[in-house]
Amino acid sequence: MTSFADDPCARCEEVLQPFLDRELNESERASAELHLSRCSYCRKRYRFEEHLRRFVRQAAVEEMAPELKARLAALRTPLL
Amino acid sequence: MSETTPDTEARRLATEARDRVRFEEDALALADQVYRVARHLVGSREEAEDLMQEAYARAFRSWRSFRPGTNLRAWLLRILTNLNIDRGRRLQRTPGMEPLEEGDYFLYNRLEESAPDNSDEERVVDRLSQDSVVSALSAVPHDFRDVVVLVDIGDFSYADAAQILDIPIGTVMSRLHRGRRVLKKELADEAVGAA
Repeated sequence: MTSFADDPCARCEEVLQPFLDRELNESERASAELHLSRCSYCRKRYRFEEHLRRFVRQAAVEEMAPELKARLAALRTPLL
Repeated sequence: MSETTPDTEARRLATEARDRVRFEEDALALADQVYRVARHLVGSREEAEDLMQEAYARAFRSWRSFRPGTNLRAWLLRILTNLNIDRGRRLQRTPGMEPLEEGDYFLYNRLEESAPDNSDEERVVDRLSQDSVVSALSAVPHDFRDVVVLVDIGDFSYADAAQILDIPIGTVMSRLHRGRRVLKKELADEAVGAA
């Protein structure tokens, strides 16, 4: 594992996914933000990953058929 | 010792019926969100619909084991992923753990290389098609895909995904990492051709 002090771009690449997942601790997040504010190479790739996440989520959305919803409701325990 | 009179018994039954109805209504209100995740845990709409019905039937039967105030969507998905794994997935080979040489910036670099004049981040994503996302997701091995779908589509935290799948959080992180790499590789191959 690298550190921001040794090789900031390599460290940024390592933490980019947990950073986007909001799973970094406060100090790691601050280091990543500081590096991203200074490095256009990593910032470009960070923005791409952010867009990609949104794109994947939107592309994957497939709504449930209304008939399925009715079938699920029919599985409820009947009221006596 | 408390005495159970017909009156207290009637009140208990009425309270239980009310709690059950509330549970069922809450669970049904989350069905759209649960389905969005379920749809990509399996290969087809039909399989997702069957899985939803099995999961909801089981949830309605075991509603008493849900602790009110905890995450109902995660509880429903735990039932659903368990059912999905029970459907013969255990027989499947565990995906290989051979090292993935490509770094995390791999997809961006591949797409940028293929059209260097147009490297604006949003435009680069636009080179991917919606259909390619769906087929790339289905190409990710099951164990990795479960985690990618829960976190990236279901928006669950690592801790929730670990609880839903009953695996350690470190396993969530490594599967997520590898699953996303496979997804990116598939997307790159579809967008600019296999290397």
